Amino acid sequence: MYYVDLLLNGLIFGSMYALMAIGLTLVYGLLRILHISHAAVYALGAFITVIVANATGSIALGMLVAVVVSAIFGMGVYRVLYQPMLRYPPYVAMIASIGLLIFMEDAFRIIFGEQGLTFTRNPYPTQIHDLFGVTINTVQIAMIVLSTICLVALALFTTRTRMGIAWRATVSNPTIATSFGVDAIKVRYLNFMIGSALAALAGGLIALLNNFVEPTMGFVVSYKALAIIVLGGLGSMRGTLIAALALGLVESFGTIWVGSYLDRDALAFLFLIIVLMVRPQGLTGAHA
Amino acid sequence: MKAHFPCVSASALMGAAVLAIGALAISPAVAQVKIGFQAPLTGPAATDGVSAKVASELAIERINAKGGILGQKAELVTYDDQAKTEDAVFTANKLVGQDGVKFAVSGSYSASGRAAAPIFQNAKVPFISAYGVHPDITRTGDYAFRTVHLGQPQGRAAAKFIGDNLGKKRISVISMDNDYGQATLEGFKSAVDQFGVKILGEYSYPLRDRQFGSIVASVKRDNPEAVYITGYFFTGGPLVTQLRAAGITVPIIGSQAFDAQKLIEIAGPAVEGVYIVGGLNRDPSNEELKTYLADFQKRAGYPGENVGATVYSAIVLMADAINRAGTLDPAKVRDALANTKDFPHLAGKLVSFNPLREINMPMNVNIVKDGQFRHFAWIDDLKLLAPPTE
Repeated sequence: MYYVDLLLNGLIFGSMYALMAIGLTLVYGLLRILHISHAAVYALGAFITVIVANATGSIALGMLVAVVVSAIFGMGVYRVLYQPMLRYPPYVAMIASIGLLIFMEDAFRIIFGEQGLTFTRNPYPTQIHDLFGVTINTVQIAMIVLSTICLVALALFTTRTRMGIAWRATVSNPTIATSFGVDAIKVRYLNFMIGSALAALAGGLIALLNNFVEPTMGFVVSYKALAIIVLGGLGSMRGTLIAALALGLVESFGTIWVGSYLDRDALAFLFLIIVLMVRPQGLTGAHA
Repeated sequence: MKAHFPCVSASALMGAAVLAIGALAISPAVAQVKIGFQAPLTGPAATDGVSAKVASELAIERINAKGGILGQKAELVTYDDQAKTEDAVFTANKLVGQDGVKFAVSGSYSASGRAAAPIFQNAKVPFISAYGVHPDITRTGDYAFRTVHLGQPQGRAAAKFIGDNLGKKRISVISMDNDYGQATLEGFKSAVDQFGVKILGEYSYPLRDRQFGSIVASVKRDNPEAVYITGYFFTGGPLVTQLRAAGITVPIIGSQAFDAQKLIEIAGPAVEGVYIVGGLNRDPSNEELKTYLADFQKRAGYPGENVGATVYSAIVLMADAINRAGTLDPAKVRDALANTKDFPHLAGKLVSFNPLREINMPMNVNIVKDGQFRHFAWIDDLKLLAPPTE
């Protein structure tokens, strides 16, 4: 039962990493930019969820507003920050992105206070359910269900709809896609919109689980998400998903087995190094 | 006429300037005693840094309201060290060199406090590390003092509390993998045998971690009689919630840095009944602490906790030592600090400093009850709590 517990925990960690990393890998695939400030969008989502939930009394409304606002914010980041920099080498945009992350962390601190925020009413993390002998709380169930729904919907969208197929075409070859009449600019906005919405959802769920959001909460996920997209083969959605779940499991079991020698954050990179030594193209080998 | 105006105004200005300089020269100098202060006001440690700053201001106001230092006004010179060692060294040099402070209090974290210590020591500036717990800070030299319990005594006190006061013998330990967490764990482990406590499982987590799923699962498997946690309120809040959410109902004992109102805000009902070894004794009979906490809440907009209280006490102690020395001579003030007896620290009675200028002071244990910290017990075995002497 203990190992089932660890497995479940790993999948929960992994599902949140996946929501976070999909946006990052989409941006990389399309623009070859490492969108570090994606982590700030995640924190923004968390803050908005708490603020709206506390103001209206509805956590669901809080998450909805967070997802919408963050999606708009993400598109804004593209328009204001990245678009003017596309003619420079990608590292220029990456440096600007790091700058935005640091700026936003301090902005959160100044606006919302150093101490962070909590939900005034949030019974969900302590609502316990017995799932075949494993204890799981409502937020963890929501994490698994919502991330599965989102990722399946995203998969259907990119394989079954015209717009989704155009999107994938643009990601793999912008020039040819454009010559077939795909509006590459629209695709970029769509990209930032969906990626940011998913990150905000992850932020809101983590906020619910911890009942706590803090200005620097994006920092750890920012570099872990980078490790994940590298593991996933940079730009591959399927690879990112597998890498996110794999990392979740490695962390869940690793914390217990090697936790006294290596902390959880270091594990992510040890895993990255080992995988890259064996498979330099990443776990799935896309975009070798 | 027009052409003459500039000349007139220029000479008038000159006159005014001469008068002003004259006035400055003949007016009695408003003497001030400067105390240097540095804390992480921005960056990742800003939560504590800002608390420290508010507390430092309250301390200076209190000192001045009670007649100042040697009849002169006390003044703080404050810098932000951003919890970075290089910034702490820079601001310490600035305090000593540019501002010429003769006394300093550090509201810094361990690493930055440790980096700044040699600068104050070399300049023979008596300084107090308010809450930085790295052992090397006081080892820097005879001008370095500390007004907070080191990790080791905190851990030993927790072992006594769990084994003796609560009578729990089979426990799981979760520790934070930074200096503070590890030092506390070390102290705890050194004392468990003495109190018949057996550690069933030992887990550690990084400071930035907030998801403790696998640790929680392991504690559940241990099936302990109690859980001891070292950490801060921002790690403790989510961790306690996640332990309770997994159906673990045994007593949880947290370390000193749990002692912040935000812990209760984060963990809500989950944190009810949690014990904190080393928390502030918020007993209503403690008048000075009551006033301090009320003033702090008013100025900061959130409730005060240990960090602020310790910074406040350190600055008041520095002023007290200068007054006892009766002079601004740093060497004499250092001696006065070393000879401190029964000083009313906000966290308890500071009985004395040991030869390494660490405190001998009993430790308070709180329990969270009805969403508030309440006094539960004193650990006053000063021999058990004795800090290192070399």
